[in-house]
Amino acid sequence: MTPTHFSFTSAFILGLMGLAFHRTHLLSTLLCLEGMMLSLFIALSLWSLQLNVIPFSTTPMILLAFSACEASTGLALLVATARTHGTDHLQSLNLLQC
Amino acid sequence: RLLAWMGLEISTMAIIPLMTQQHHPRAEEAATKYFLTQATAAAMILFASLTNAWLTGEWNISQISHPLSVTLTILALALKIGLAPMHFWLPEVLQGLNLTTGLILSTWQKLAPFALIYQIAPNTNQTLLITLGIMSALIGGWGGLNQTQLRKILAYSSIAHLGWMIIILHFLPNLTLLNLTLYILMTSTMFLSFKLSMATKVNSLATTWSKTPPLAALTMLSLLSLGGLPPLTGFMPKWLILQELTKQNLPITATIMAMTALLSLFFYLR
Repeated sequence: MTPTHFSFTSAFILGLMGLAFHRTHLLSTLLCLEGMMLSLFIALSLWSLQLNVIPFSTTPMILLAFSACEASTGLALLVATARTHGTDHLQSLNLLQC
Repeated sequence: RLLAWMGLEISTMAIIPLMTQQHHPRAEEAATKYFLTQATAAAMILFASLTNAWLTGEWNISQISHPLSVTLTILALALKIGLAPMHFWLPEVLQGLNLTTGLILSTWQKLAPFALIYQIAPNTNQTLLITLGIMSALIGGWGGLNQTQLRKILAYSSIAHLGWMIIILHFLPNLTLLNLTLYILMTSTMFLSFKLSMATKVNSLATTWSKTPPLAALTMLSLLSLGGLPPLTGFMPKWLILQELTKQNLPITATIMAMTALLSLFFYLR
């Protein structure tokens, strides 16, 4: 694995771990999601630069647009949760336990 | 492949407003959990295909050849549709929604990931698929035993059904599609009959006898069909899958699957 590949792989895995093991705030989960998307964007740009494939040069922009949409959806859900539950602490998300 | 990822994300985003239409805190909590899991899975799919592109130079999702990428893609797709061991979001999310939205979630949302799964079927790791399938069937059977809420029962039954579908994927992908179609039909029947009788707990199902006896009979029949008893349609995919498994010299797997079907049947019949 080249150092570039290793760096963005580790960035993605770090974001994934942060997403999986978030403890108190829901916002940190959204931040980790954005971090993962960003590492994917960097990887995609570097890949299309390195291999000189022309048809895929627009994909980083499309990825960026979609990750922005995802982030806005997540934020809207966060606002809705804050409106009904009061905080965004994870302990309050236990209404659906059996 | 980029279009696949975009399609998955668009479907996720489209379902979220549907889920939050009911301004109940449970619904919004369910929507939040659902969104998080689906977005994570979509990002993992993209990451797997990107890793594959770096390592082998192949961007088409049906020709992923690196074993690590294939494993990661399968895991991400399993998270999307709710296979064990990544099934933890499914009962809670289904519980928080009303019945129509839950119907759309269980049936329509499974179509897109299954299209992807069907495409990458020839390259997959057989041991991983069998492990996932057996675990799903087991957890789907055991988890549903103590439930009284109807939507959670349906969630666990869908986990078990998905386990059946995944097991046969490596050998005969067309059987997976058949199982998926029949599962969609049966689950839609169940959801619609529950919606008509407005029942959300097992106790309130008992009142349907006095209201509309034909509907109660239909519900019982479709429950039995979900369980997979011989004279009903639900038995056909299970029989074909078991036949295919024994043809490939995997009798132990076939026995385990048959026994987990018994588990689900037990909690259907309550």
